[in-house]
Amino acid sequence: MDFTVIANNFSYFMVGAWPNGPLGGAALTVILSVISAIAAAVIGFILGIALAMTRGAWHTGLLLFLGFFRAIPVIMLIFWMYFLLPILLDINVPGTGTVVVALSLIGGSYLAHSVHAGIRSLSVGQWQAGAALGLTRRQVLWSIILPQALPIMVPSFINQWVSLIKDTSLAYVIGVGELSFVATQVSNREMVFPTEIFLFVALLYFAFCSLLEFGANRLALRYR
Amino acid sequence: MKKLRIASLLTLALLSTLAHADRLDDIKKAGVLRVAAFDSNPPFGFVDAQSKQITGLDVDYAKELAAKLKVKLELVPTNPANRIPLLTANKVDIVLANFTITEERAKQVNFSIPYFASGQQFIAKKGTLTSPDQIGKLRIGVDKGTTNEIVLREKFPTATLVAYDDTPFAFTALRNGNVQAVTQDGPKLIALLANAPDKDKYEIPPFSVSDDLIGAGIAKGETRLTEFVNQTLRELESSGKAQKIYDAWFGPATKTPLKRIFKIGDK
Amino acid sequence: MTVFGELLAPKYLVWLIQGFGVTVVLAALASLAATALGFVLCLGRLARSRWLAWPVAGYLSLFRNTPLLIQLFFWYFGSTALMSEGLLEWLNTPHQLDMVVFGIKWPPFEYLAGFVGLTLYTSAFIAEEFRAGVGGVPAGQVTAAAALGMTRYQIWRHIVMPQAIRIAMPPLLGQYMNTLKNSSLTMAIGLAELSYASRQVETETFKTFQAFGIATLLYIGSIVLIETTGQWLQHRRKLIGAPL
Repeated sequence: MDFTVIANNFSYFMVGAWPNGPLGGAALTVILSVISAIAAAVIGFILGIALAMTRGAWHTGLLLFLGFFRAIPVIMLIFWMYFLLPILLDINVPGTGTVVVALSLIGGSYLAHSVHAGIRSLSVGQWQAGAALGLTRRQVLWSIILPQALPIMVPSFINQWVSLIKDTSLAYVIGVGELSFVATQVSNREMVFPTEIFLFVALLYFAFCSLLEFGANRLALRYR
Repeated sequence: MKKLRIASLLTLALLSTLAHADRLDDIKKAGVLRVAAFDSNPPFGFVDAQSKQITGLDVDYAKELAAKLKVKLELVPTNPANRIPLLTANKVDIVLANFTITEERAKQVNFSIPYFASGQQFIAKKGTLTSPDQIGKLRIGVDKGTTNEIVLREKFPTATLVAYDDTPFAFTALRNGNVQAVTQDGPKLIALLANAPDKDKYEIPPFSVSDDLIGAGIAKGETRLTEFVNQTLRELESSGKAQKIYDAWFGPATKTPLKRIFKIGDK
Repeated sequence: MTVFGELLAPKYLVWLIQGFGVTVVLAALASLAATALGFVLCLGRLARSRWLAWPVAGYLSLFRNTPLLIQLFFWYFGSTALMSEGLLEWLNTPHQLDMVVFGIKWPPFEYLAGFVGLTLYTSAFIAEEFRAGVGGVPAGQVTAAAALGMTRYQIWRHIVMPQAIRIAMPPLLGQYMNTLKNSSLTMAIGLAELSYASRQVETETFKTFQAFGIATLLYIGSIVLIETTGQWLQHRRKLIGAPL
């Protein structure tokens, strides 16, 4: 194996054509991941709480909505949003935006169920006790339920964020210049080094995901 | 008769302007021309190792178009399969990516007059493919979303096709022995081979199974933009610039010397 | 582009159905193999010897923390550099499978790579689900069983495993659904499954909405089927206490 191909293209792997072109490569992967992770967490919280607080038709509707995003393959959702939504709804989202929206909807749908499960894992007695103290449902949720439910949800969030980082690689199918895309570009040009290039790229993703896992677990321990 | 045609053209142009804002005006207003180009297919469109920018024959034409419009050029990297969706979803204004003109495609997008001609050929390990009769028995790598794929399926229904996202992927599969031949336009294959570090192992048998004309793809119904592209292409030929662009990528001094058999306006 | 236009010709529907068949078979085989491998990995991960537990932990973290797409690219395009010429040629030539039952043909390399890639990736997740299942069995039960004089093997076989598998069942179903969805990535290495078929149909017909719409419906339909089956099984188990 010959890893000079990595050294020769190192800056392209890291930042793409930047500063003489758009930012790409590993840097874009990190940016896409961070924005999607935050958006997925927000969506997950809002919809998870909504799941816990709604009954009847609203609840069912919400479940169907979440079910759709949990059932569709990421690659299909990205195709739909990038190529077909502009024609159906006449809105035009650039590639990076498409990836962020698709990943946060899917990640958010999974997280909504985790948030819901976390809230439900607490006994009904807590709600009743809060109500007995004269608190509204919202107050009980904020000051009694969520603080206890949060630690339960932490592992799901970390898992989902790791998935998000990995799924940014699918931006490759619509030509967004993140790490996987620039890797295939270099591999296509150099032709005979796919082994070295994909090993190196796998290692980079491994570093990102492991760092996140390690760091988030440390933080979670400290604040427990 | 001629008057009538001009009148109907004018009406058409007027109608399409009324129906929706004209793309040519949109481009001028935005100050940006969005062109989809290949990023892994030298010498048509590829990322240059030094400049890290997409360059190539198609890109040179894109630059001329943007220069004439006096707008900025924005290149969107594409693989073969994404070319038509990029146009229909209004992600780009023009596709300049070795885009073969076909009747079927012309129902979905507008084509400019051709600016390049090529034929569908094959690349294989030396000695495996000598005549078209053998094609039906082979596993052949193609690119998703190309006419090569459709032609092959029609003419050699017994061949096994494996479709990849882009030509270099297919070539890697050939190198690994997963397919026995790869089919693409001749000039693209010649450049592929010229850039391969192990080029002496492969050959491009001297036969082709179709003749293709390459044009610029433009969103359906954008008559004015299409006319603008046609006009510019003709001017590039008459001023000798088209020849210069050709020589820069296929001229005698290049890695891929190839005689110019087609001039803009021939067909 | 017409949004829907005429219906797809039957020929193209057949392509999509065939692609769906490949998707289902690939996902099922990979799920089966990944469950077996994941179970073994889980045992290895829980082994007392660190010579076993640590390498397995490394495997789990490596395969869980890298994108499947990159793993597939590696197995299909990259792994060949690590093989001898002879092995590569052997893999690429059709062999008569010795135990030919249904006249199965030797799969082309993209099927082998897709299956191996999907299996190894999924096995890491399944191993962790099994491990969580084992962790869910109260420690007191193990102590109690030991106090009753049961051997380590007996405790595993009769106390821990049955409960662990029951605990792990719902998340395992989730992993099988992921496998079905993840199999869509194998289109990048030329494996003719459902997503690949939808792109082929699009190439020939330009009916993007129908091609992707039908494929999407097939994916969602099969996921829903797995999910409701799982819920029905769970429900039945709760109702009559039947083993899963």
